[in-house]
This record gives sequence, C-alpha cells and structure tokens, in this order.
Amino acid sequence: MRSVRPAPISAFLFLFLALVGTAGCRRDDPAAARVPLVRVWCHQGQEAENQAMRAIAAAFNAAHAGRARVELTFFPDFQYNEKIAIAAAARDLPDALDLDGPLVARYVDAGLLAPLDAWFTPAELADFLPTIRTQGTIDGRLYALGAFDSAVVLYYDRELLAAAGVEPPPAGRGWTWNEFLAACEKLHASGVEPVAFHMNESADEWFTYAFSPVIWSNGGQLISSDGTSVRGVLASVENIAALQAWQAVFKNNYAATDPVDPDPFGSGRTAMDWSGHWMAPSHVRTKGAALGAMPLPRVGARSVAPCGSWCWGVSAQARHPELAALWLKWVTDPQHGIAPIVRANGAVPARRSALALFPEYQNLPYRLFREQLETSAQPRPRTPFYATLTQRFAGALRDIARGDEVAGRLQAAEREVQAVIDRRRPAAAPAAVSSSP
Amino acid sequence: MKARLSNSSPALAWLVSVVVAVAFLAPLLWMVLASFREEGRIFHFTSENWFTTDGWTFANYADAWRRAALGGGLLVSLLQVALVAGIGLVVNAAAAYAFARLEFRGRDLLFAGVVILIILPVEVLAVPMFFTARDLGLTGGFGAALAGLTVPFLAKAFNIYFLRQHFLSLPQELEESAALEGAGAWRQFWSLALPAVRPALATVVLLDLLAHWGDFLWPLMISTREETRTVQLSLANLFTAPPIQWGDILACAVLATLPVIALFRFFQRHIVPSEARAGIK
Amino acid sequence: MTSWKKAQSRAAPWFLLPALALLAMFVVWPMLRAFGWSFTNADLLAPEQARWSGLDNYSDLLADPRFRRAFGNTALFALLVVPIQTVLAFLLALWVNRPEPAWRWLRAAFFLPVIVSMPVLAVLWTILYQPAHGGETGLVNAALSLVGLPAQAWLRDPHLALPAIAAMSIWQGVGLQMMVFLAGLQGVSRELLDAARIDGATAGQRVRHIVVPALRNTIVFVITVTTILAFRIFVQPYLMTRGGPGNSTLTVVQSIYEITFLSQNLGRACAATLLFLLLVGGLTLLQRRFTREERT
Repeated sequence: MRSVRPAPISAFLFLFLALVGTAGCRRDDPAAARVPLVRVWCHQGQEAENQAMRAIAAAFNAAHAGRARVELTFFPDFQYNEKIAIAAAARDLPDALDLDGPLVARYVDAGLLAPLDAWFTPAELADFLPTIRTQGTIDGRLYALGAFDSAVVLYYDRELLAAAGVEPPPAGRGWTWNEFLAACEKLHASGVEPVAFHMNESADEWFTYAFSPVIWSNGGQLISSDGTSVRGVLASVENIAALQAWQAVFKNNYAATDPVDPDPFGSGRTAMDWSGHWMAPSHVRTKGAALGAMPLPRVGARSVAPCGSWCWGVSAQARHPELAALWLKWVTDPQHGIAPIVRANGAVPARRSALALFPEYQNLPYRLFREQLETSAQPRPRTPFYATLTQRFAGALRDIARGDEVAGRLQAAEREVQAVIDRRRPAAAPAAVSSSP
Repeated sequence: MKARLSNSSPALAWLVSVVVAVAFLAPLLWMVLASFREEGRIFHFTSENWFTTDGWTFANYADAWRRAALGGGLLVSLLQVALVAGIGLVVNAAAAYAFARLEFRGRDLLFAGVVILIILPVEVLAVPMFFTARDLGLTGGFGAALAGLTVPFLAKAFNIYFLRQHFLSLPQELEESAALEGAGAWRQFWSLALPAVRPALATVVLLDLLAHWGDFLWPLMISTREETRTVQLSLANLFTAPPIQWGDILACAVLATLPVIALFRFFQRHIVPSEARAGIK
Repeated sequence: MTSWKKAQSRAAPWFLLPALALLAMFVVWPMLRAFGWSFTNADLLAPEQARWSGLDNYSDLLADPRFRRAFGNTALFALLVVPIQTVLAFLLALWVNRPEPAWRWLRAAFFLPVIVSMPVLAVLWTILYQPAHGGETGLVNAALSLVGLPAQAWLRDPHLALPAIAAMSIWQGVGLQMMVFLAGLQGVSRELLDAARIDGATAGQRVRHIVVPALRNTIVFVITVTTILAFRIFVQPYLMTRGGPGNSTLTVVQSIYEITFLSQNLGRACAATLLFLLLVGGLTLLQRRFTREERT
C-alpha cells in the first residue's frame, strides 16, 4: 500500500522550505520585541527619498530606544492608495501612515484617522505653513500634517525667450493668459516648442493638481464649498471660459498632447515648463543661470498656485496612538524629519523654522515656491468625494486637450460626479469642508 | 501512425522545429542570460556587447534577493502552494470519492450544485470573499495572512468534479474485498482508491501549483504587510520601486520561476500522458 | 453485500463536510453577499450602512463610459487571442504529434511558457517591449531591426499596447492548448486516416475532413475555455500598462478592482462582478449547447 505522497517529495519540499525559511525569517532581537511596535506605512518615492525615510526611522528608533520602535514599510506609489483602501477595509491599517493631502477628507469621513490637536502646541502649529494646516484640517480639527509642501511654477529658459523676443514678466509676477499665449506664439514662430504640459502623466492627479489653478484664477471652483455638490459649479460659465483659454494652447500646437520625453525642458526641446518643485534641482543643474521661474499664468484676475502633498496621519485604530504621535512629531521636526526628506526630494519645507536650514531658498526658483505658498496657494478641495472628482476632472482635461468641445465635456464630467455624490450622499454625513483659501 | 501534417523527412522536420522552438523560447533564454549582465549592458544588442567575457556578474541575484526580500517571498509562496495543494488534495478527493463511490440521499442533487460553482472564477469571488476572509480574521500578520492565502482555496469545485470522474472509472469490486475484511470507508478510500488514481492526483496538484504560484489578484488584496508578500508581489514591488535596476528585476524573475519549474517537473512524472485526455470530458 | 455499502453511506458526511463547508463559506456565501450588495449603495469602508438602491448600480455601469471601454477592450483582447492562439495551437499539435521520443523535448519547449507564472512574464515582456531610447532598446525592437522593420513604442502607443499584450498572451498560452489538442489527437481513428491517405487525400484534406470533425468537442472546449480565460485577464495589463495608455488596455477585472478600492464603491463593484459572471456563465452555456455527445 503506497501512500499518496512519497517520502522523497516531502523531504525535498521540507529541505527547501527550511533553507528558504532560515534565509527569509527575520531574526528579531528578543529584547527589541518587547518594545511597543509602531507600524508605519510610507509611499515609495525616488530612491533618495526612501533612503532618507529609512534614515529618519533609524534615527527615531535610536532616539526612542526602549520606548517605541518604528517598522517602516514602503509601497509603490501607484499601489499605495489601493493598499490603504484595502487595509482600511480589512481593518488592518498601520499605526501611522502618509497620505496624499486631498484624500485626507475621505479617510476622516470614514472615521479612520485620529485627531492630532492634542499632540501639538499652538506655537508648534503656527510654525507650519498655512497651506499645510489647511490641508490637514477637516471640520475644524487637525488630522494630518505634512513635512513638506509642493509648488508648481512656469520655468523658462531665459536664452530661448530672449532669442524669440519674449520679455519675461517682472520678478514674482506672472503673465495674464493672453500674454502667455502671445509669448507662446512668438516662441512657436522662432522654431522652438513653446511649453511642456506633461500630458503623458499616467496619474490622474497631475492634471487636477497642475491645472486647477487655471480655473481658480478665473474665480471658479471644482466643487461647492461644503464639498457636496458640483451642480452648476464644475461646469460653470467661468470654468468653461477658463478651460477654453487653456485649450487654446493645444489648438495652436504650443504644447504636445502626447509627449514621449519625460523632461522636454531639460533636454532643450521646449522653452518653458509647467512643472513642479521636483524638477528644480535638475533644471538648476542643466540650465544654470539661464533658468527662470514665474508664477503660473492667470486667466482671470487672481494669481493662484497649487499646493499640497503627502502628509502624515495617525490611525484611529492605532494601539498606541501616543507613540504613533511621537513618530509624527519626529517626522515633522525641522531638523530630524523635514531637513533630511527635503534634501532628498527637493520639496518645500513645511515649517518656517525649517526654511532657515535651506540657503537656496534665497534664490529663484525656490524663493518663488515659498512666496506662493505664503500668499497665493490654494489647496485642492477637501471633500470625501475627491477621488471621483479628480478622476472625472482629469479625464475631462485629457479629452479637452485632445480637442473635445469644452462646455459639453465639462458638463458631462459634472453630471458623472454629481451622480456618484447623489448615490452615496444618503449614507455619508455631509462633511462641512471648505475649498476656499 | 498519428495524424500528421506532412510526410516530410523526419530529420528536416526536426531541424526546423528546433529552430522554431529556440526562437519561441528566446524571451526566456534572454531573461536568464540578461540576468547575469551588468546594468548598463542589458539593452545594447550588438555582438560586441554580448559575445564577450566581461560584463557578466552575479551581483544582480544578490541585490534582488536583498531588495525584494525574496527569502520571505519564496517562503510565503511555497507554504501557500504546499498547503493548498496538500490539504486541498485530501479535502477535494474525499468529497469526490463520496460523490463517486458512496451512496446517500440527495447525492446527485448536491453534486449538481457543486458543479454549478465551477463557473465562478476567482476574479468574481475576490471582492466579496475578501470581506469573508476579513470577518474570519484571515488578514493581518504572517499566520493570519497565510491562512487567508490558503483556506479559501482548499475546496475547489473543479477539482472535486475532476477527481470524481477518475474515481468513477475504478472497478466496482475495488473496495469489496477490503470491506469484507473489515476495512472502514476511510481505509478503503485512503489505501485503495487514492493510490489507484495517482495520476489524477498529480494532475490536480499541478493545476493548483500553477494557479497559485502565479496568482496575483488575491495576494494583492490579502497581503497588506511586507512580510506576508508572495514572491509575485515581491517581484512586482521590485519592478516598480526606484531605483529601477533591470538586472535585479530579471534576476528576481528567474528566482521566482525556478521553484515552480522544479516542482512541476517533479510532479509531472506521476502523470501518464493519456490521462490528460480523460480530464477534458 | 449491501451491509458494507450501508456502512459506507453513513461515513459519507465526514467525507463531504470539509469541502462543502469550505465551499459554502468561501464561494456560496460571498456570492450571495455580492448579489445583495449589488442592489445597494454599499461603501467599501462602511458596508453595514448600505441602503437599497435597486438597479441603480447596474444602470450606472452600463452607462459608464469607462466600464464600457473596459468591456470593449477585454472583448477586443479576446477577439485577438482566441482565434489566433487556437489555430496556432492546433497547427502546432499536428506538427509535433510524432512518436519519436526526441519530440517530447519540443513539446516541452512549447509548454514552458505555460509554467512560468504570468506576473513573471508580464514583467519580462515589459522589458522586452522597451522602446528605443538612445542606443538602448528592448529585445523585440532589436529583433525587428534585424529584419529591417522600424522600432515601435509598443506599450506606450495607445494603438499597439493591447495587441502587444495579446501577442504575449498568445505566446504564453499556446503550449497549453497544444497539449489539449495533442491529447485529443490520440483519439482520432487511425484506420480512417490510413484509408484516406491510401485514397489519395492530401494532408490538408485529411485535416479538414477527418481530424477537425473528430476533434469537434475538443475544439469547442478549447475555444470556450480560452475565451473565458481571456475575459478574466488582469495581471498582464495591470503590471505592464496599468490600463493605459489612455485607457486602451483597461480590462473588466481591473475596472472591478478600481471600483472597489479606488472609487471604494462596494455596491457598484458587486454589480460589475455579477455582470461579469453573467458573461462567463453565458459563455459556458454556449459551450454546452455546441458540444455534442458528451462522453463521460
């Protein structure tokens, strides 16, 4: 009578498992195992950022030895939002996690984040940039704080502009949209591609993030100020006019709708670059003194800049919320948290006291980043329906860039978003969030 | 004489086929070769680049092992596959045996109900099954997640159907002599019926092996922590995590494939070729 | 004789219990829940607060351009893969169906991609499809340049991405279908074939008039299973193109996944799941309809 699984198979498998297991199992120091563990999730950025985060975590563990131990896990950016959703649905969220700013409202609405007010003194909070505080404040309570903020500007190559006879605006001021189009025309005539809009970005968020200022500058909004209705708001007259002005850039071939090059400005193909702080180090390196930066052109009267970035929150289910809060304080500390990460990713430090650690902020383009964040930046709307709003708005922008009729396309997006809101509204309590500056 | 396309000379046909097969396998061959190349020398397709003795390195494998935590990933995958195939075999074979050889009221109706379940692919079940797994505590740390990766797949309608076919073809008198000697139903099953369908069992193990080693959607949902990742998730992570080192990724891909090929070859020996036909009907 | 059979019957529940309990818990119950949720506005993070919404989810889905695009893409993918892969596998099976032992290696060679798991192949082929950039290029473009064809952007080109993924899927799956056809070929009547050859029938005629009809059920089975597998595709587009560029490789399963975890709309995800199930079930029924004389 032969048994089903002959001995050799079992032996082979067992041996293989044993070998792999000894290689793969983590050997935790028994003493360390007794220290409370703080599970932290972080989205995976560039390698320099990840290394900086690992160093920050290691420094935290050294400084808080015996009191708390942070275990840092990275997830690829494109999977990250799904992972949070899955973990939230599985009720297995980490103790602390970083979130993209506009999504904070959704997780607060679902009761997943714990308020942070108790852990920070008013003086500490005042040290943060106003945009950071607004980004993390829902219903008057603070739920998330970022270590850095972001900025989008219009970079330009002084030499290429001069060669085409284009005069950049005075320092700190941006063009009106007509001035911008006129400059593009001159550049186009001189034979160079006027501007890069990065329309090949795979993430929807780029479009909403980078181009919402166009409609904001014309006095429009994406969603009502209580975050519950887009009817008449998203496809308003102002927004249609603003996006028609935006569409003119593509209609006249000033910007590519399907670029292949990820950095056309750096490689010399375009004269201007509608891009963010993350390109600053590379542009400074490639263009040197020829690099200029101006605020984004405005359709209406207001000059508006985008802002917002990843920020840290504590899970409402955290077993040791006070320890998770310790991590938050560490990672937003100017010296221990902000300085290393900003040196790695070139973002804008979230605290005024941290700005003193960065001498480059005396000069362009960094000086412009800071000015915008202090004066003209507008956070994206804080609404539980942000994910849908951005997906549909980005889709509309993509289609409008390819030539779709603006009013119709925008109205279609408005209907789609409103339909989603209407479906969900009965269950969700209306969150009184504000999208005004 | 089998059905043949032509009467061409066997040697010529053989030669042509080898050429075609090598071309067919070129992607896999390149994968293995390129995994030993230094980072900057993978994508230049010139003879100077490839027919040379320098530029070859083992470093990609060491890097991949470290960066993708392959030790843990392989462990999770192997455990998952071993548990699903091993425990699943007993669970499904027992049910198949009952449907095939035991008589009880409502047998055919119950079996029809099981057969209907065959059409449900895992993609359809994944979302609602996720909530069931969560409610049963099958998410979270290593043990829980491993259970979450295995328990939902222990019972498979198709495996029951397939094994029942094979049990049906066994001679009726098989258990009779043993029964008259006093052997109980389980003994008859375990010592007589199971060994008699060994090729079918091996087929089922192979199917489970292939299905779960390459499974992606379900582990994507269940493995919320780094230490619970399967080897496929480790590979996907390495694939998207900067710095993108193609050599490391290729080495990781090779390492993720070797175990399943080895296991497959191992179990394949238990299958007699003609058995594959019986499985279709 | 019947006494030991009666004893056996008493043991039946023990044989059945584990499998049936597991199937009930992990297959039947989830399906029922999904069915229920599909008629509500259940939210991923708070499903217990769901409220009845009738057929809203279904009508929204059928009107949603993104979901329709996903469905169209998936159907197009199936349309590309099923005929090409089936014909190729059939021809391969005919070709490698020789008794000489050395041919075993050839059959194994064509079968090898089937064993290599799909995520590994998705990663590999993304690398193979790398567009030309500077002096570097992927293997596919390098091979094309050998025969003088221009390099393409493959996965970055909205018109080429889906066919590129289809080609790779065909390459992966043809070996499995070949094996199924091979098994079927063993059952073709040798006397009939010999008689036909003696009567002067060409190879092509023999295939068309003897082999194909004899393999009818196998062919129907292969086509159906391959179609269903094609509709279930997820990991290749997810890893290779993430549904892009421009939604040209968005599939039904990825759409369901996104509705679940990005839109976080559980009710609608369940509705999409059930629509998908209707499709798969329908295809299976079609197979049964077209399969004659089932041999057990």
